[in-house]
Amino acid sequence: MKLIFEYEESITGHLPNSNDDDPHSLGDLPRELIRKELPLPNVSEIDVIRHYSNMSRKNFGVDIGFYPLGSCTMKYNPKINEDIAKLEGFMQLHPLSHQSCIQGSLQLMWELGEYFKKITGMDAFSLQPAAGSQSELLGVMIAKAYFKEKKEKRTKIIIPDSAHGTNPATAAICKFETITVKSDSRGNMDINEFKELLEEDIALVMLTNPNTLGLFEEKALEISDLAHRNGTLMYCDGANMNALLGMTRPSDQGFDLIHLNLHKTFSTPHGGGGPGAGALGVKTLLSDFLPLPRVVNEGKHFALDYDKRRSVGMTRYCYGNFGMLVRAYAYIRSWGNELRKISEHAILNANYLCSLLKEDFELPYDRRCAHEFVLSSRKLGQKSALNIAKRLMDYGFHPPTIYFPLIVPESLMIEPTETESKETLDKFATALRKIAKELKENPELVKGAPYTRSVERLDEVMAARRPNLRWNAHTGLEDEEGKKKPGINEREDRRQK
Amino acid sequence: MNYIPVTENDKRIMLRRIGVKSINDLLIELKPRIADRSELGLPNPMSELELLEHMKRLSEKNNLMKYFIGAGAYNHYVPAAVNHLLMRGEFLTGYTPYQAEMSQGTLQAMYEFQSFICLLTGMDVANASMYDGSSALAEAVLLSSSYNGRNGVFVNNGLNPQYMDVLKTYCEGADLEIVNEINEKTTCVIGQNPDFYGNLENLEYLSDRAHKVGALFITCVIEPTSLAIVQPPGYYGADLVVGEGQSFGIPINFGGPYLGFLGVKNFLLKKIPGRIAGMTTDSKGRKGFVLTFQAREQHIRRERATSNITTNVQLMAIASTIYLSLMGRTGLKNVAKLCYNRAHLLQKKLAKMDFKLLNDKPFYNEFLVRAPSGSSENVLSHLLKEGILGGLHLGHDDILICCTEMNSLQDIESYTSIINEGMLLK
Repeated sequence: MKLIFEYEESITGHLPNSNDDDPHSLGDLPRELIRKELPLPNVSEIDVIRHYSNMSRKNFGVDIGFYPLGSCTMKYNPKINEDIAKLEGFMQLHPLSHQSCIQGSLQLMWELGEYFKKITGMDAFSLQPAAGSQSELLGVMIAKAYFKEKKEKRTKIIIPDSAHGTNPATAAICKFETITVKSDSRGNMDINEFKELLEEDIALVMLTNPNTLGLFEEKALEISDLAHRNGTLMYCDGANMNALLGMTRPSDQGFDLIHLNLHKTFSTPHGGGGPGAGALGVKTLLSDFLPLPRVVNEGKHFALDYDKRRSVGMTRYCYGNFGMLVRAYAYIRSWGNELRKISEHAILNANYLCSLLKEDFELPYDRRCAHEFVLSSRKLGQKSALNIAKRLMDYGFHPPTIYFPLIVPESLMIEPTETESKETLDKFATALRKIAKELKENPELVKGAPYTRSVERLDEVMAARRPNLRWNAHTGLEDEEGKKKPGINEREDRRQK
Repeated sequence: MNYIPVTENDKRIMLRRIGVKSINDLLIELKPRIADRSELGLPNPMSELELLEHMKRLSEKNNLMKYFIGAGAYNHYVPAAVNHLLMRGEFLTGYTPYQAEMSQGTLQAMYEFQSFICLLTGMDVANASMYDGSSALAEAVLLSSSYNGRNGVFVNNGLNPQYMDVLKTYCEGADLEIVNEINEKTTCVIGQNPDFYGNLENLEYLSDRAHKVGALFITCVIEPTSLAIVQPPGYYGADLVVGEGQSFGIPINFGGPYLGFLGVKNFLLKKIPGRIAGMTTDSKGRKGFVLTFQAREQHIRRERATSNITTNVQLMAIASTIYLSLMGRTGLKNVAKLCYNRAHLLQKKLAKMDFKLLNDKPFYNEFLVRAPSGSSENVLSHLLKEGILGGLHLGHDDILICCTEMNSLQDIESYTSIINEGMLLK
């Protein structure tokens, strides 16, 4: 493991053409503003290529193998969509170009909004949020602005205990208090407890449907009715939309707002942790509050509308993660009106895999699951979920999400997605069953895993206790024998001597 | 196109194993109402070839120009190697490195990115990236308020107006107030450098004013190639540096995805939002990387988290890390010098053509001019006709113009000669 900062000084190939003017002059820039040292390495192109190619080989992605990370929808990301997003007309377009020059991009955004309206039943969409969590923030800001305008003092948000952590974190940023409702024995939000907690200061109910247990909220409609009668808005965390395409529309379940994660349901690549893209849909009563600018269809052409009216304003620079919107648009157009097949097969794959595993593991809520399911390995001992996850790596699989949702002990949250074959699911189930057996017969083997990756189990406690979060130019880093290597500037100084 | 590999035969076996006759029966058991097929009303599916043709046509409805505009999105050259490395499926199709042993590539890239940001800005610690520059600024303000419990936000003149709009939205949501004076209630003072008009300044005076009343000083850098030649914000007292990393190897892409960055002094480490990678060792004593200080984050801390953000923009962070590695110290300085010199060259030429120069400070690669009275519309539309986006029209006759290494001497020559012709025509 060598850092890019630890290469010997070399010739960088990327000096922009400077034949036509003097790159060394800085005209009349005052000396006090000029930087005295720039401690970056000079590495040759071939070494840079090798460095990052080798680094990538220590990684794992959907392109390498099965990645059933629950709640993240790690489906195949079609390669054609990468090519399409890189079409010059999309990629090299400046966002502040004249309106006559951006008609293709505006059309794409407008049509994508229309498709999302059809899929969700919402009345208006904003494509501006950079990710699901920013959509949530926008949604809660909109709810806050809505009640402020109505002069209603509502300070609390109801969230079930199975919710993603972003829900309460978002509520807190907007200075709302979070009220947590327990799940009942069938994995639904407990309707009786909900009724008790639903008071007149509740602004919003945030529900994920299907929820993070992979189960449909069986009382979603009743919850919506109760909330609406109380003047409370219903927010749908659409993280699990991969189970709903063409089946039921969140608007039919009574939701007033929903966000979509385009990197989940609409297959834009996860990129090792972003960029994602969010889209926030709302019913008419909230559509004026959506951020600026809005893309409007004026018949002969498309335009950007900056009229503030009741809008909450902008949530980020320009219009959104446009490159991701292109990929999502292409994905929807490739499926067209057959989008429902995605969800049918996501549900089929999840139920099949669940049927292969539920005898060897505990299924805490024994219901038909949607696009994912949550097992518990509680009976296999403490930390068994972690140990199973690490051992799965040796079998060539990415582990499922573990220890989430928090309400299931030793949980393994498995989302196979629709793009996996029966053969892959069978192999994965065989590996998991084998690991369960190993845990009983040779637990030390599993506890020491993984053995086949570039590193074995890493010490997270030390990472937090003795934080080493960056390379330091002046001292370099200690090498394997504990000797200090010289930093870049020292190397340069030495050479000059 | 259909990306589902399960055959009809597979399907029969799978359904039998599940214990249902058909997918529809499965759906009925799952939740009765969803079995009713609802008509989506979407267009017909497309083959890969049809899709590509359709998308090409759509992309060709956009018109690309020679850009003399920046204002938050900078048209720099991206070396070919960046994209080739970025498209490796191991980087492209992985997710957040929750499982460190399987994600050492992503984690090392995070660590290197954090290091690059610290080296460039003069901060002690940086996170693994934010959604974009504007939301990074807003998050820095939330951080300030949570650090010192105050709610006044002072913004120095010259902040990019879109960043200001985003900041206002976040402040409204989080009950913070944008104020006109710096006092004991001020949580932070924000200064953009170079500012929206390209002005470069030693912001020490602003940092001193902030620190005198116990407020934090945030520097916002939206054109970070400038950091190759100008003093880093750490030098003039910034406690936090946030900004936009798009200039480092990321195409302008109609505004996104971009790359927010956030670096802080050590004392703010535990308040940082988002992912941070740290170096540690494995059970055999080998060096490796993990996500660290996760107890700040929403998936653990929920309503007490430092932020609600979940992911960073990892692929963009990798792009910029590769870009900075390819350019190196020498290449990056050259880019910065070319940007600086070309902008100054164009400014001098325009001065000779009766354009009034409005920057009263040294500037980097953007500058503000006032076109001869009543001519700005005419100037910009003449340029547009010749395929040049001449700048950002800021009302009156003011135009904000930007040059990068992409604007050749010949482009600059065309720019001025087209204006000359346009004026003669008038």
